[in-house]
Amino acid sequence: MTIINVTLPFGLISKVNDYSTIINEILKYDIIFNILKFSTSSSGINLLLDIPEEEIATITESLKKNNIIVNKKGRITIDLEKCIDCGACVSLCPTDALSMGGVEENNQLEFIEDKCIGCLLCIDSCPRHAIEENK
Amino acid sequence: MTKIGVNLTKSYAEINEKIKNGDVVVVTAEEMIKIVEEKGIKVAAEEIDVVTTGTFGPMCSSGAFLNFGHSDPPIKFEHLWLNDVHAYHGNAAVDCYIGVTRLADKSPFMYGGGHVIEDLVSGKPIKLRGVSSTTDCYPLGEIDTEFTIDDLNQAILCNPRNAYQRYACAVNSTDKTIYTYMGKLLPNFGNGHFSGAGSLNPICNDPDYEIIGIGTRIFLGGGIGYVIGEGTQHNPTKRYGTLFLKGDLKQMTPEYLRGVHYEKYGTSMFCGVGIPIPILNEGLARKTAIKNDDIITEVIDYGVPRRDKPILKQTNYKELYSGSLEINGKKVKCSSLSSLFYARKIANELKKWIQEGMFFLNPPAERLPTDTIFKPMKVTAELKFVKDLKKEAIICYEDCDIKVVAEKIIKQNMNHIIITNREKLLVGIVTSFDITKAIAEDKNELKDIITKKVITTMDNDPIEIAARKMKINNISALPVIDDNNKVVGIISSEELM
Repeated sequence: MTIINVTLPFGLISKVNDYSTIINEILKYDIIFNILKFSTSSSGINLLLDIPEEEIATITESLKKNNIIVNKKGRITIDLEKCIDCGACVSLCPTDALSMGGVEENNQLEFIEDKCIGCLLCIDSCPRHAIEENK
Repeated sequence: MTKIGVNLTKSYAEINEKIKNGDVVVVTAEEMIKIVEEKGIKVAAEEIDVVTTGTFGPMCSSGAFLNFGHSDPPIKFEHLWLNDVHAYHGNAAVDCYIGVTRLADKSPFMYGGGHVIEDLVSGKPIKLRGVSSTTDCYPLGEIDTEFTIDDLNQAILCNPRNAYQRYACAVNSTDKTIYTYMGKLLPNFGNGHFSGAGSLNPICNDPDYEIIGIGTRIFLGGGIGYVIGEGTQHNPTKRYGTLFLKGDLKQMTPEYLRGVHYEKYGTSMFCGVGIPIPILNEGLARKTAIKNDDIITEVIDYGVPRRDKPILKQTNYKELYSGSLEINGKKVKCSSLSSLFYARKIANELKKWIQEGMFFLNPPAERLPTDTIFKPMKVTAELKFVKDLKKEAIICYEDCDIKVVAEKIIKQNMNHIIITNREKLLVGIVTSFDITKAIAEDKNELKDIITKKVITTMDNDPIEIAARKMKINNISALPVIDDNNKVVGIISSEELM
């Protein structure tokens, strides 16, 4: 399974349940997928979906035809120049995408992109503003 | 040659001689654990001359004294700002103290005193703005200039409280995310934060203050510093010892002085501290072999915004560093706010300095107190609680007609009607505005206008806490409930005036 970040742009939204446009588009393919996160912002309706790897290409293409924006994950970028390896973000990460390793390890912050589900809980926990959301 | 006996002793002079000759044996506090395990205390005390410690975490009681020299015509600062951060000026004309938690006037929370110190040590230019009411001897009323650390006469890091012996692990029992000096704490024990360097922590390696005292030469912010006394709130009897430190900022490096900001809390500074422990006797060999398992601390509920927060359980740094701890049968992910990576780096850097003959050890001029306690603030005003100021709540049942609610608002002259079930358990709240809105939008059912997500308070909450709840939620009243969610009154902003 791979996580994709799907946005229905604000301009295309006319009613609250327009997010079903995204879901209906994917349902056509008769696959099992997970909705990890639903959110709204000034950019539009945003869904974080966990989709079978092999279907990514076709689904992405099909969504794009409907002017839906598809990004691979709502990921974050860590500025290692700013990071001071404190660990304030680690306890907030629900998937161990952010980790310091055990006490025997090096204890420098490690970010495993593939585990990130884009929940963004970590962003405002960083005392150095080193975590940014990928736009 | 050191004579080996039952009570082996070494002197500072002997150790310094070895440093001079380049044959001193230095290990970090983490390495000492293994050495003592493998060889025993006696052999370790004989072989090891110095154990280095280190810690790198947010230390809010930090700041720097700066002296700018005089302008012409001269000025006596009444107020001054460094990069828009107000510095303390209650000293002579052009001295100041910049504290790390002071927030910038224009971009508070993003930039503060800690960042000014980091920028200063980085060699960046700092904007200085100063104003004065002028005197006959200091006629200049206003100055705007820019300086770097090299332009200053003195820049002295002077931290009244650093290097806490240990810290509690903070968690949050409430149903809301809270932002504290212990970082972002998720609701319902969603995570935990601790601080300190465990077995590398300086005071943990000298808990009886045998070698850490007034005058002890240390690693501070990448340069050399000194312990100049016990820190404020020094509480050795509860194993919360602290240190008062100073050092020349001009020798320090930004790598070990980092300005930080905690969301919705404020700014601080990470400060690197490392203290060498000379192994003068077997007792110090034993003490410096302290393990993370042996450093006991508590898990505390920061959801309770009171001085005495509930202690939920005991833990130790081994459990904390494992990445999770158990609270009420739930596995809670926890992480450190301070950096173990940098604490190790500091201990290793100090080790290298000593090995290379760049750093010598000295006995303290005076011992630090080992019996003091940390007293609470003496407050003369009586603390008022919600129960002292609450009023009787006007209650309607959930199946009540909107018209009845409207009548009660008029008759009782109350803006807020609490909606409960028949057992008086809180269901929601309706305000006079909600009624007006219902009429405007032609809604007839109470259930369509009721606010179900109600912010509440309890009898034993101090009124300041109730007031803050109203302020941050922009509301004017809170239902008072008991432990069972039963409504026992209401408190509104009018009572708090």
